[in-house]
Amino acid sequence: MGFGDLKSAAGLRVLNDFLADKSYIEGYVPSQADIAVFEAIAAPPPADLFHALRWYNHIKSYEKQKASLPGVKKALGKYGPADVEDTTGAATDSKDDDDIDLFGSDDEEESEEAKKLREERLAQYESKKSKKPAVVAKSSILLDVKPWDDETDMAKLEECVRSIQADGLVWGSSKLVPVGYGTKKLQIQCIVEDDEVGTDMLKERITAFEDYVQSMDVAAFNKI
Amino acid sequence: QVPVLQTNSGPGLTGLVTIAAHLVRRARKEQLLGSTAEEKAVVQQWLEYRVTRVNGGASKEDTRTILKELNMHLEDKVYLAGNIFTLADILMYYGLHHIMVDLTVQEKEQYLNVSRWFNHIQHYPGVRQHLSNVVFIKNRLYTNAH
Repeated sequence: MGFGDLKSAAGLRVLNDFLADKSYIEGYVPSQADIAVFEAIAAPPPADLFHALRWYNHIKSYEKQKASLPGVKKALGKYGPADVEDTTGAATDSKDDDDIDLFGSDDEEESEEAKKLREERLAQYESKKSKKPAVVAKSSILLDVKPWDDETDMAKLEECVRSIQADGLVWGSSKLVPVGYGTKKLQIQCIVEDDEVGTDMLKERITAFEDYVQSMDVAAFNKI
Repeated sequence: QVPVLQTNSGPGLTGLVTIAAHLVRRARKEQLLGSTAEEKAVVQQWLEYRVTRVNGGASKEDTRTILKELNMHLEDKVYLAGNIFTLADILMYYGLHHIMVDLTVQEKEQYLNVSRWFNHIQHYPGVRQHLSNVVFIKNRLYTNAH
């Protein structure tokens, strides 16, 4: 968020673009959000940035009422288009915030120290994060394997299916479900690791047993 | 069809702007008609525009002209009268609603200032009433230089 550096031409251009289809920085009434951004601008925007200029002149007309406008003034980086990097930095905030002032009264030193501390903390967080074992994404798939007719040896069919081995594939329970005219289909459960095994691969290998398997479908697919 | 207002006190009134202005004064909301002489004149100007130019049955050509004129006027203003919300905004909103509802996304971007103003007015408390909310998408698709 934020508009970048509002004292630069680039920042004003971001503001101008943002205001092209809005009357106010936030919502549909003038608020502290507008005042916050207004105070960050040094002078009226140039005439070619006419959306920004329109907004500027409008907010200027609220000068007398600015304390009574609704909302709470937030840091400049909290307003504006979501995809703009917040360049307002710690330096401007630290002047007001007593909590960061742990390392002395000199502003320059302080922001250096604060930066170092932040980097240290970031490094610590990263190392902690990498130590955590990665959680493997798994899914439970229920497959319907259909034979050619009721003469097909379902036990053999099941054997063939279970013979399919793959890294990350574990076969579960199975049962025979009648589909009509004496024919039964094999419903078998398996647990797969998403990265290792896919349903396409399973389908290929199961339907490879052409003597027994007419087709295979995924009856259910649940993420674990 | 011209609206007529019949009240218990005084004669019947005819005419959209006449009735609206009368009701505004009755409700003691005179600021909606402008405060300074200049503001009042500008409000009157747009009320006149609304009645003479923006009426149902305008041709596609007229509609395009109206939108172009309004777009130019609203380039540097938040409201029709500049910085204050007035009756001109309200009546223009109602007058334009049936036009805005039918605009394509591209047209809404073409008349960007009108879209901005329209979106603002329709969110003003009490204005929209039973009219449908015209949607203006947040991310502009046709970003060509104005």
